[in-house]
Amino acid sequence: MPEQPYEPERAVAGTGMGGAMDLGASEASTLEGAPGGPGGAGPAARPRSLWSDAWRDLRRNPVFLVSALLICFLVLIAIRPSLIASGNPLTCDLARAQDGPAPGHPFGFDGQGCDVYTRTVYGARASVTVGVCATLGVALLGSVLGGLAGFFGGAWDAVLSRITDIFFAIPVVLGGLVLLSVVPGNTVWPVVGFIVLLGWPQIFRIARGSVLTAKQQDYVQAARALGASNSRILLRHIAPNSVAPVIVVATIALGTYIALEATLSYLGVGLKPPSVSWGIDISTASPYIRNAPHALLWPAGALAITVLAFIMLGDAVRDALDPRLR
Amino acid sequence: MAEPVLEVSGLVKHYPLTRGVLFRKQVGAVRAVDGVDFTLGRGETLGIVGESGCGKSTVARMLCNLERPTAGAIRYRGEDITRLSGRALKAVRRNIQMVFQDPYTSLNPRMTVGDIIGEPYEIHPEVAPKGDRRRRVRELLDVVGLDPEYANRYPHQFSGGQRQRIGIARALALRPEIVVADEPVSALDVSVQAQVINLMERLQDEFELSYVFIAHDLSIVRHISDRVGVMYLGRIVEIGTDEQIYDHPTHPYTQALLSAVPVPDPDARERRERILLPGDVPSPADIPSGCRFRTRCWKARERCALEVPPLAVPAEFRHDTGPAAHDSACHFAAELRVVPPGERDADGESSTSAY
Amino acid sequence: MLLEVRDLHVEFRTRDGVVHAVNGVTCEVDAGETLAVLGESGSGKSVTAQAVMGILDTPPGRIGGGQVLFRGTDLLTLKEEERRRIRGAEMAMIFQDALSALNPVMTVGDQLGEMFVVHRGMSRKAARAKAVELMDRVRIPAAGQRVGDYPHQFSGGMRQRIMIAMALALEPALIIADEPTTALDVTVQAQVMDLLAELQHEYGMGLVLITHDLGVVADVADRIAVMYAGRIVESAPVHDIYKAPAHPYTRGLLDSIPRLDRKGRELYAIKGLPPNLLAVPPGCAFHPRCPLARDVCRTDVPPPYEVSGTRTSACHFWKECLDGRAGS
Repeated sequence: MPEQPYEPERAVAGTGMGGAMDLGASEASTLEGAPGGPGGAGPAARPRSLWSDAWRDLRRNPVFLVSALLICFLVLIAIRPSLIASGNPLTCDLARAQDGPAPGHPFGFDGQGCDVYTRTVYGARASVTVGVCATLGVALLGSVLGGLAGFFGGAWDAVLSRITDIFFAIPVVLGGLVLLSVVPGNTVWPVVGFIVLLGWPQIFRIARGSVLTAKQQDYVQAARALGASNSRILLRHIAPNSVAPVIVVATIALGTYIALEATLSYLGVGLKPPSVSWGIDISTASPYIRNAPHALLWPAGALAITVLAFIMLGDAVRDALDPRLR
Repeated sequence: MAEPVLEVSGLVKHYPLTRGVLFRKQVGAVRAVDGVDFTLGRGETLGIVGESGCGKSTVARMLCNLERPTAGAIRYRGEDITRLSGRALKAVRRNIQMVFQDPYTSLNPRMTVGDIIGEPYEIHPEVAPKGDRRRRVRELLDVVGLDPEYANRYPHQFSGGQRQRIGIARALALRPEIVVADEPVSALDVSVQAQVINLMERLQDEFELSYVFIAHDLSIVRHISDRVGVMYLGRIVEIGTDEQIYDHPTHPYTQALLSAVPVPDPDARERRERILLPGDVPSPADIPSGCRFRTRCWKARERCALEVPPLAVPAEFRHDTGPAAHDSACHFAAELRVVPPGERDADGESSTSAY
Repeated sequence: MLLEVRDLHVEFRTRDGVVHAVNGVTCEVDAGETLAVLGESGSGKSVTAQAVMGILDTPPGRIGGGQVLFRGTDLLTLKEEERRRIRGAEMAMIFQDALSALNPVMTVGDQLGEMFVVHRGMSRKAARAKAVELMDRVRIPAAGQRVGDYPHQFSGGMRQRIMIAMALALEPALIIADEPTTALDVTVQAQVMDLLAELQHEYGMGLVLITHDLGVVADVADRIAVMYAGRIVESAPVHDIYKAPAHPYTRGLLDSIPRLDRKGRELYAIKGLPPNLLAVPPGCAFHPRCPLARDVCRTDVPPPYEVSGTRTSACHFWKECLDGRAGS
């Protein structure tokens, strides 16, 4: 070091404005974090990472807490419906068909005289299973394949992209009628498999696009120049920066998958009547909507709340993973 | 010149142009870099200037092994690094690091500053034992003039100049010998540019760095460089010390380029003579025969279309020992002073000094 | 006077509070004169231009007060329809990024001709002939053949010429050019600036040149207004300012740029960072970075002190700065 002590121009509080045009952007955040606020940590603070910061953020986010509680509740009743419903969803009394609420039957009865409350509770299992498993399958398959195709490009990418084009051309309902009619048994798994098979191309395209964008960023080049391996670049740099659109689309798709199960069940190729699902109930109740709207509204309401909970969860997670929004 | 640390010879990068969907057929090539030679001495700063599309950034990316050259060699301590892969390549990367142009895209927005600067140690764990990394990161932050307490913050909480300091700290983490800086200040505000330039100069002394400094701003390049190479359409057309290039240019392109730079001195308006080049730079997919500058050159004659002028001391200056005798790829090289001599202060000091 | 801006205030409402982007700007331009508005990002120079042109996004922007007098009429009191008639015909703007300012799916001929169809009610055919004539005037080679080309088929310099042609189409009295050559290479920049200066001379227009480039300013401007944190801190004829700046910020800027014509020692660096417009320092906004700052600078906003008949400086200690004491 030279004798003359160097006085580094210490960063003064406040960031520069990023041009007058983007005044509305988040640029306006300052470095004067309140003590204890994000970034205001003292010297003894543990080094932080994206994930620990995201978790800290989520724990304080009411949207996340509400949606997570709702989802936990849904999963719980999907596993043990008898916890909150004592009846049997298959015990029906045609004499009470389309009746309104009665003591012990708060949601009334459907067209077959079954208790709507019990069926709505028991329907959660099939619907939540289809929604969650199909979404997870689609998101995993689509983002892994899309990520690899976007990252490595070349022949991989060309072949996979053409395959997705072919899948996009298959009409969903017709495909379901053909494929599912040959599958024996009456479980949700063929439906889940069918949705994953037809759903992954959508996520593939989104994942591929966002990986392509992230790949061109200079920070990826910088990591490469440091000698980072492909797996490191993919996991540390590209994945966190391209996961947001996948989360958004996947959580929105979750609702459509539950509805798709309903459609397929209605057409007789999904779950068959001894099984209980919101989809089946919605479709069987829809012809009587004028006489017994409650039979439709309760399972449909349950479906809407489930979808909303997952979308809210997805939004909260996406925001937590973006430090710029903190 | 000092002992060379990097020798570049015959460096070429062509991007093939293809046609057809199933059977791709090469129909031509974009000759982004088309035969570049230079040497970088230890502790030296070599500036490379040129307009957009001249291939200077591609050269930078090849030096950092981000792009594999089509032909040619880049020798670091005598070893050709363009043919390396795996472990040997990773070892070389430690010694050649890059500073990027855009401080907004060159830092991962989802990593803390501490993680960004510490990543080099994760990739090369042999450089620093695990327990020592945090201390080193804090030290680096301090070296580039940022508060070490900022290690837990994210890039978006910093201004452009501060981000560029973070990028510089990352490049220095592995104690490289060579730093390739691709337009490191062009995205910054004028008042912040000087801070970053001064920082880079101080670090060069402190860490004994050799710089390849790539920029389009000729004034900044003159300020920081010991030697300067001027690129046009994939080739270096003239190279020499800063005095040779700026005060005694012999290549017509360099002369035109220098004459076009606005000088912050309204009195120079009348004194200056501008060489306005006609037309646009030709496409690198369709480079003119012979001298590639001839289509815009006021000196061009028949010979220029036929013979490629070599980058060497022109014949007319071969026995000259003055500053005009330096490498210049022109058949009709002639000295022409285009930058009006600046008024130097009587005592030779720059008019102001930092406080 | 062609254009007089008096005490203009512009603010933006953002999530984090009100940003005062322009804080009482006063300046004027006469016919045939070039005023350079010099400033860094966030200084409010572009916002000022947008407010004068009437193309400010409102909301989030809002004009907080002041007057924009164009030939004596306050534009801010006019109805949007009346302003639209002035825009294009009386005053025109040239943007930095010609590629995004031109419509990519319309031929340049149609875009140029549209001006005449809309404002002058010309027929399509006559408008096209006018377009070719304009392209000729901004020296686009083979204008007759290229009039049917799309913007992406032109090089950066040629596109900027088309932008200039569009601005000139209706022979406005005032042109506002916002960083017109920043995106261009030096040799092309020189061509475009020369063209602009020549056309300005030919038409006798007033030109407001918004830029951060001290070199370009020295080349073409008659007067300079230096902006910092939404205020004009110094305003002077170009020769005066380069010879002896009367504001420490101007002096700092001039000293911090490396020179092509001499190799200096270490560059002077203005310490610190440009201000955060959500929390502009009280008193003189430049005081945290200023070598001359004293107690009064932290409390009192400096008014534009008159340095001479033609120049002002918003610095309490402009005399010291003029004597050259700000630097060392």
